[in-house]
Amino acid sequence: MGSTKILVVDDELIMRESLAGWLYRDGYDVKTVGSGEEALERLKGTRFDILLVDIKMEGISGLDLLRQVKEDDPDVAVVMITAYGSISTAIEAMKNGAFDYLLKPFDPEALGVVIDKIIEHQDQARENIFLREQFKDRTRFESMIGQSKAMQEVFDLIQDVAPTGSTVLITGETGTGKGLAAKAIHTNSPRCEGPFVQVNCGAIPEHLMESELFGHQKGAFTDAKETKKGRLELAHDGTLLLDEIGEIGMRMQIDLLRVLEDGVFYRVGGTQPIEVDFRVIASTNRNLEEAIKEGIFREDLYYRLNVISFQMPSLRERKEDIPLVAEHFLLRFSQETNKPVDQISREAIDEMMLYEWPGNVRELENALERAVVVCKGRKILPEDLPIFRPEYLALPNGNSLKRVETEHITKILNINQWNIAKSAKVLGVDRSTLYNKIKRYQIPKPT
Amino acid sequence: MIVPPPHSIAISPVGASDTELLIQVGKEISRIFGYQTEIIPLLKDVDFALDPSRNQYHSTLILGELASLAPHAIKVVAIVQVDLFIPILTHIFGEAQLGGKACIISIYRLREGLSSLSNPEFYHKRVVKEAIHELGHTFRLRHCRDQSCIMHYCRTVKDVDRRSDQFCRYCKVLLEDEMKRLNRNWGSRNPAI
Ligand SMILES: [Zn+2]
Ligand SMILES: [Zn+2]
Repeated sequence: MGSTKILVVDDELIMRESLAGWLYRDGYDVKTVGSGEEALERLKGTRFDILLVDIKMEGISGLDLLRQVKEDDPDVAVVMITAYGSISTAIEAMKNGAFDYLLKPFDPEALGVVIDKIIEHQDQARENIFLREQFKDRTRFESMIGQSKAMQEVFDLIQDVAPTGSTVLITGETGTGKGLAAKAIHTNSPRCEGPFVQVNCGAIPEHLMESELFGHQKGAFTDAKETKKGRLELAHDGTLLLDEIGEIGMRMQIDLLRVLEDGVFYRVGGTQPIEVDFRVIASTNRNLEEAIKEGIFREDLYYRLNVISFQMPSLRERKEDIPLVAEHFLLRFSQETNKPVDQISREAIDEMMLYEWPGNVRELENALERAVVVCKGRKILPEDLPIFRPEYLALPNGNSLKRVETEHITKILNINQWNIAKSAKVLGVDRSTLYNKIKRYQIPKPT
Repeated sequence: MIVPPPHSIAISPVGASDTELLIQVGKEISRIFGYQTEIIPLLKDVDFALDPSRNQYHSTLILGELASLAPHAIKVVAIVQVDLFIPILTHIFGEAQLGGKACIISIYRLREGLSSLSNPEFYHKRVVKEAIHELGHTFRLRHCRDQSCIMHYCRTVKDVDRRSDQFCRYCKVLLEDEMKRLNRNWGSRNPAI
């Protein structure tokens, strides 16, 4: 969230603790581990921007760790720490993609310079991605679809909330359509004639955020050649969606709170107060209450935003909607690609019903887009769906999809005392499909 | 040992001290943080923290000792003459327990570029800024990227001179948050107050 994540890898406790303490006071999010093995374990679950690695360690050496890390994620900056000034190893490390190396103990100034350089580098990369994404065509037809009870409740809530003008907080996993819900609130509100302005707080690099939100005055900084309106100003008389609000840094939280309280702000470098009137909708896939406990989200801002809140259901909580939503995407993509694909086979639907869809509707949308492209006939078959591709089967936590699915089916079967008809209904699949799965995964029936 | 009144910040000189300087530090700390200050030498020396191979003093060890010696002060800042280090770095100007009680500054490197006679005010200013900066850490503030903010990390003494002795608006809000939190905790522990 805003701050750069650093992992310190050193087998000497006192070294890694003193370095971590220093970096933490310097404002970074710092973790420490005592070996290369632990580092690799740690990196499975979390992404770090910078690794500070001691070259000389028992077990996996600093150099081996560097190679492994760069292979998995070339964008991670690795700085080697060397105790003896063993320049040859350090040079070897540089050849293998290390960003730099430091002789320990290092001058605080040297450390600061290296870290600043890395951050500048990474900010630039993020800025480039952001600028590229910004101009991507986002004209895809979008709508919220669902007949499930969960979705009907969401529709009712939107109808109730829209006219009130209240601040709304929408929670839910990624890909559940939080942005669509926000848009629906806007279009059903008295502000529907005004602009709907979206700010993706997770995508805008921290150093651009202030000027993106508040705008800037000509000459406020080197690149400020013209006075530019920020998104807050653009949202005047309309609705402002703060998407992924949980990703916003501390400083912006303080600024946003002030705007929400006073309705007034200043452009960067500006002295003229700007009054704005907009409705705020915030959305997040984070648990903000947890973030408050961790001290990375302000409680006062949370209460400002959480006037009315609701949660978008995940796709697996409304599996009965899958066929309908899939049909909708099929129609859209077959029109877009001019391919005469107009059916989804029963087996393909069954596979979709059994899959957990961690990426929710957005993942289903991508799956259908691909399926329409690769489909050879008029009918989508299971093998057209990307959920079958081998690289898809490895989940981030190392579980295979097969195992997850086996566990899920076994659980449902046991709950229903192995009543196939009942279990098939709960799973939303055909009885024959369930039989096939039991056979394929060799799920044992308890005796 | 003299017990300072609660809610005061203790300023603890180690070794020969410049009274005029200490008074100025105390005044500025009061002005910025709104607490009373007391000048109390809590440590006779810091020899226990000496690393003979480096001929420098390990500041983290001193902080642990300081915190235990000032039970009644809300915060304590030690001012030492010797050169400080933490194991990974060649030297430091000061160190603080983030969100804790104790912090320390060394004047060893703050005289850089100044002859002892010329302009004591200039030198005093450096000491005051460093003390406020380290105390800021004990109020949970971390480094700030605003170069004129007192919580900006200064790599050189020149940077210290350039930096103001004020908190930027963000750090001000975060400091107020922490003060509120401390008052709340104090109130709940001491319902009579
Ligand atoms: Zn500091
Ligand atoms: Zn600041």
